[in-house]
Amino acid sequence: MSETPSWQELLDLVEQLNNSDYENASVQFGNVSVRLSKNEPFVETASPVVAALSPVSAPVVNAATPATVTSAAPVGDTIDAPMIGVFYRRPSPGADEFVKPGDTVTAETTIGIIEIMKLMNPVVAGKAGVLGEFLVTDSNPVEFGQPLVQITLN
Amino acid sequence: MTTSHKPVVLVANRGEIAMRIIAAARRIGASPVLAASVADANSPAARAADRVVVIGAAQANLSYLRPEQVAQAAVNVGATVVHPGYGFLSEQPKLCELLEEEGIAFAGPRPETLRAVGDKGSARLVAIEANVPVAQGIEINDPSEVRSLGEKLGFPLLIKAIHGGGGRGIRLVTNLDELEELAPQAAQEAEVAFGNGALYLERYYGLARHVEVQVFGDGEGNAWIFGDRDCSVQRRHQKLIEECPAPGLSEARRTILHDSSRRLVKALKYRGAGTVEFLVDTQSEDVVFLEVNARIQVEHPVTEEAFGVDLVAAQLRLALGMDPELPEVGPVPPASVIELRINSEDPDNNFMPNSGVLTEVSWPKGPGIRIDTQVETGYSFPPYYDSLMAKLIVRAHDRKAAVAAALAAAQNTTIAGLKTTLPMLEYVLSHDDFIAGEIPTSWFGPIWEERKVTDNV
Repeated sequence: MSETPSWQELLDLVEQLNNSDYENASVQFGNVSVRLSKNEPFVETASPVVAALSPVSAPVVNAATPATVTSAAPVGDTIDAPMIGVFYRRPSPGADEFVKPGDTVTAETTIGIIEIMKLMNPVVAGKAGVLGEFLVTDSNPVEFGQPLVQITLN
Repeated sequence: MTTSHKPVVLVANRGEIAMRIIAAARRIGASPVLAASVADANSPAARAADRVVVIGAAQANLSYLRPEQVAQAAVNVGATVVHPGYGFLSEQPKLCELLEEEGIAFAGPRPETLRAVGDKGSARLVAIEANVPVAQGIEINDPSEVRSLGEKLGFPLLIKAIHGGGGRGIRLVTNLDELEELAPQAAQEAEVAFGNGALYLERYYGLARHVEVQVFGDGEGNAWIFGDRDCSVQRRHQKLIEECPAPGLSEARRTILHDSSRRLVKALKYRGAGTVEFLVDTQSEDVVFLEVNARIQVEHPVTEEAFGVDLVAAQLRLALGMDPELPEVGPVPPASVIELRINSEDPDNNFMPNSGVLTEVSWPKGPGIRIDTQVETGYSFPPYYDSLMAKLIVRAHDRKAAVAAALAAAQNTTIAGLKTTLPMLEYVLSHDDFIAGEIPTSWFGPIWEERKVTDNV
């Protein structure tokens, strides 16, 4: 379940890692990814220690899964909804999608529209890279901060 | 899976009142959904709800104060009704209107009522029309005839500049000679400061109590009156302690307060829970209308406990088109109830707010004790919102017993990790003036300052 962890949970996580034998850790915690290292600089490990941290990373909110999340929790970088609303991938019904998985985007590229109380707001990528899978289906409600699409940063 | 047959209550607030609304939603068999900022997405209230929808960033002006975001959340989760709590959007006609367009109910008054009572000027006109006593004000047409106006109004009174503002151009006068001397000066000053020397006189109540009446309207002109509350323990207009019933009110005064409030509810065809606030003078028999709070108030639990009613459930039921299931009650409840507001503030340091992790939270137990809060051991009190941490509500058979029980309850509360207002509350509950009752709103400031001075000697 992708939920934003609280600051306290992050502090707990840091403490638990600090007291462990891990030198480096990369943890996907809800929709926030945390990288920690006891030695600078951070070294990317081959396998993140998510499994080892299951007591900490267990979801703390019994919120119903938003119907729009199509697959497992996103891994890596994502473009997140800048506001609550309804997400559209096309400028109008029947038109082509703004962008598709595999497309290269810049920070200014429009990737969709979020409608909030009948007001249409373009959503720009905000970062440059190559788009991965969309995590929200067209014309579905989204929450503030909900991951919309995966992106591999340039 | 969500249970589609249940009405969905969107809780558009946070903290203790979010917990309270969730409890009321459960009580009527509805499904509570919390509209939360990012900072509250994992809060105790979020865990208590069936679902959370994140409406915006931590800062209230990017989340809880945005009508379109709350309305969109209501649409997204298929809400039947939105409960706004108090503060935030609770008295904003805009949210109410957006929801109306979407066919979603609002647990509060109609938008036109919110407008009518939303500013003091129009609220005063509504009150006058409903024959509710208001503070007398007389415009001065000729500064040389102030003597007769002063005699008419009585003392003490305030000379105010009609075009003034922000407390400027106000003079307090206590007798006729002072009035005659100061009125021309004030006119001249107002001329210089505001480009207009027009003045008016208003009766001044320096030693008045804050007494309010809990009302509930069915939206068609029928009114319930659930007694009165005294909220005179205040610091800079912030209420610290409230109680029900207001102590020491004569039957005649109580009747004026309750009957005036009832007329106001009928005149407005008021819908849902509301409060009519009054100044009750301790130096005369005067009672003066202040304003209508068109929402559930922080201090509603003292009324609920005193009369044995659930006002929040009644709000939800009414908004859902159901019978609010409220009883007709007498003017005085069969119990005495006191509420203590425990704030995350340091009373010894000018009530400075503080935020951070609560290392221990433990509450007293026993008959008549109610705790409205979302804080618990380990909770990180956020810096973004108001400092209300918890409400400790204590019920007993009479006021004396309630004061004693409230003091004991405060003394048996542990909140560690942050400074709280508990020591101040214990001080007030032990003070002879408070124990005697009927203190004015100007009482707390000086006695707290004096207490600090004596402690430092």
